[in-house]
Amino acid sequence: MKALILVGGFGTRLRPLTLSVPKPLVDFANKPMILHQIEALKAVGVTEVVLAINYQPEVMLNFLKEFETKLGIKITCSQETEPLGTAGPLALARDKLIDDSGEPFFVLNSDVISEYPFKEIIEFHKSHGGEASIMVTKVDEPSKYGVVVMEESTGQVEKFVEKPKIFVGNKINAGIYLLDPSVLDRIQLRPTSIEKEVFPKIAAEKKLYAMVLPGFWMDIGQPRDYITGLRLYLDSLRKKSSSKLAVGAHIVGNVLVDETSKIGEGCLIGPDVAIGPGCVVESGVRLSRCTIMRGVRVKKHACISSSIIGWHSTVGQWARVENMTILGEDVHVCDEIYSNGGVVLPHKEIKSSILKPEIVM
Amino acid sequence: MASSEERVVAVIMVGGPTKGTRFRPLSLNIPKPLFPLAGQPMVHHPISACKRIPNLAQIYLVGFYEEREFALYVSSISNELKVPVRYLREDKPHGSAGGLYNFRDLILEDNPVFIFCYYTSAKASPLTFVIVERISHIFLLNCDVCCSFPLPEMLEAHRRYGGMGTILVIKVSAESAYQFGELVADPVTNELLHYTEKPETFVSDRINCGVYIFRPDIFTAIGGVSTQRKDRANLRRMSSFDALQSATRSLPSDFVRLDQDILSPLAGKKQLYTYETMDFWEQIKTPGMALKCSALYLAQYRCTSSHLLASGDGTNSASIIGDVYIHPSAKVHSTAKNIVTSSSIDKANLLDGLGDEFVFQQSKFSDSKMGQSIGPNVSISANARVGPGVRLISCIILDDVEIKENAVVIHAIVGWKSSIGRWSRVQVSQECYTYPNMPILLITEILRILHKSFCNAIQWHIRLLHLSSEQAGGDHNAKLGITILGEAVNVEDEVVVVNSIVLPNKTLNMSVQEEIIL
Repeated sequence: MKALILVGGFGTRLRPLTLSVPKPLVDFANKPMILHQIEALKAVGVTEVVLAINYQPEVMLNFLKEFETKLGIKITCSQETEPLGTAGPLALARDKLIDDSGEPFFVLNSDVISEYPFKEIIEFHKSHGGEASIMVTKVDEPSKYGVVVMEESTGQVEKFVEKPKIFVGNKINAGIYLLDPSVLDRIQLRPTSIEKEVFPKIAAEKKLYAMVLPGFWMDIGQPRDYITGLRLYLDSLRKKSSSKLAVGAHIVGNVLVDETSKIGEGCLIGPDVAIGPGCVVESGVRLSRCTIMRGVRVKKHACISSSIIGWHSTVGQWARVENMTILGEDVHVCDEIYSNGGVVLPHKEIKSSILKPEIVM
Repeated sequence: MASSEERVVAVIMVGGPTKGTRFRPLSLNIPKPLFPLAGQPMVHHPISACKRIPNLAQIYLVGFYEEREFALYVSSISNELKVPVRYLREDKPHGSAGGLYNFRDLILEDNPVFIFCYYTSAKASPLTFVIVERISHIFLLNCDVCCSFPLPEMLEAHRRYGGMGTILVIKVSAESAYQFGELVADPVTNELLHYTEKPETFVSDRINCGVYIFRPDIFTAIGGVSTQRKDRANLRRMSSFDALQSATRSLPSDFVRLDQDILSPLAGKKQLYTYETMDFWEQIKTPGMALKCSALYLAQYRCTSSHLLASGDGTNSASIIGDVYIHPSAKVHSTAKNIVTSSSIDKANLLDGLGDEFVFQQSKFSDSKMGQSIGPNVSISANARVGPGVRLISCIILDDVEIKENAVVIHAIVGWKSSIGRWSRVQVSQECYTYPNMPILLITEILRILHKSFCNAIQWHIRLLHLSSEQAGGDHNAKLGITILGEAVNVEDEVVVVNSIVLPNKTLNMSVQEEIIL
């Protein structure tokens, strides 16, 4: 089986992190976002992953080279020279996706984090005999999204309603599809939308089926959702393989700590914290609802909550970092500084407090 | 027993509960004169300066607070300084000259019998001690000024001048002078030529410090003003000149202001002289100023009472930066359990062969203690508890406060019995506290080498403190230049309080910024 991951462009919503690496390589729960997907695809027998990308493909390929051998999976890029929307990249990668097997292939949106129930969608796809399967997820505010109206018992999709003003349903497109190769015949090589142009046609022919995604789902394309996504991911990890989570008197709730990181005495860590490899968390530090990326040093008595600390940054002693503070790569917050929602671009030194959410260029 | 020398008394005007409202919410709990600066009540600093006056017979505190509010302090300070201190209560505000005049008989009739009875309840017949001594000079000090009080030097100058009174003055920036009494003095004779209170236009950059020496005949001058008022009131006739002076006319006859009613009219009449101080001087109107003045007094301790300053390099105690006062009863837990990660020690030993760099890193990490870091400009009052890993910068921590592990307090006053939770943070918006990023000790060190005299260096250090706060342009009168927690305020764990004033008995369970919490 093959899979196409829609990586897309600059990942501006996840800046300043995406100023240092392409969005799929931004770490989530101590692993580049895209690896969560590639590993899950590998687990259900996918042998080749095509990344539809229009920005820095070399960086991606260089990074993923080691995982090709490690995971035993082929990873290639399909580079757009102009933005092709959500369907155009499928036409562009047509030759890579089609082989003699006639098997369906996966299409994934790279921003989405979930339990990736690929096995279930494969079975679902086989069971309904249609041309395409999509996963849908229940949301609280369907009016913000494109709602999928479907026949509850069979999952047969009736129509798509973009940002409905009156309630038509609460299931939205989760960005995970399993498509028969024949779907590619419906897509032209031009900028086009799979949700607005391709799926409605298949639905009209009653060949599109939707399955409600079991477990959690989150689009982590922006910082606030990234932090919520980590909470959902760690909750799920607690149920599935809790041995991966940290334990100890200084741990509260779900905490993921890379084994190469060091944590000092008198700390209180959690809930919903991920500490990446090579980090040093000194004594008396408080961490909650945050991500500490590779090589970060958090000095004594600092307190971090609801924030993302980018690679190789340092947080000074008695510093306070909170309220959606996002530190880019190699940012240094000086001792005793307070950051309330500061979004800091890479390679900066923060010498005076940030009292209200603001961007530090 | 008997002394033929002339005796001196000091009178410190302390005001009353209807004054000093700008000092709220701190003055809701304690008379402002008893609020601690550098660990000692505000009024203690002028009192201890008076102790240096030769032939000092008595110190009077004059104000309209209830007697009981000062009773405890007055008795303890009398014992401590071995100088009789007495609180005299006015029935109502009389103005600074009026207040003094009100108690003229008591002040002038100072005699040893009275003193001895007061302090030792002398069993010997009091008659043996009756030697009525003449009071030659009266010091008059305002309680809410912060300065080095160069009183003996001032007295010497006063005797040289031979006038009725001498005023302590200081040169300030032309922009700030309007807030004070501006005066002009003869550069050669130091005679006071002109005096005007808070003028609208610039008159002079020399201002009245609120510290005076008078001969007893000042009472004649004050009495004159009082009589004039009575006469004018009796005439019940308003000339055009009186109409202009109606503000003065409306005052009761026993209310006499020192500045407008005495100093202004006597200027240029060879009665009053000035003594200029080169040291620091500030007025303590707001809590923000209290914090600044606390810093000035702490810096002065380096020179006058260095035993009061805390020290520690963080090895077995808290690490102390700059000038810090810690009351002996305060509990500053230096290390929680002197923790060193046992596992990391083991690892460090095991990995000994892996190269020096790695081992160095490892041991450095293991060494990270839970010690606090305190200073510069921190005063910690009685029975306060400061937990492990706490950081205190430029703050006054009052009695019975508890500061829990890893909390941070920057440029704030924390009221009595308040509690600050773990990893909480109480601070101001800008780091406007005294040159924050400049290593204070380094500067003192450099100056010490430059001047080869430690106290000289301290004077420079104080001047630098002074300058840095002026340059910072910090509006010390603005209420929100500081964070203040009133009595028994409870800041819960991990809460951040920025630039706020919290009135007594409140619990904060979520972060606040730029707020006054009633």
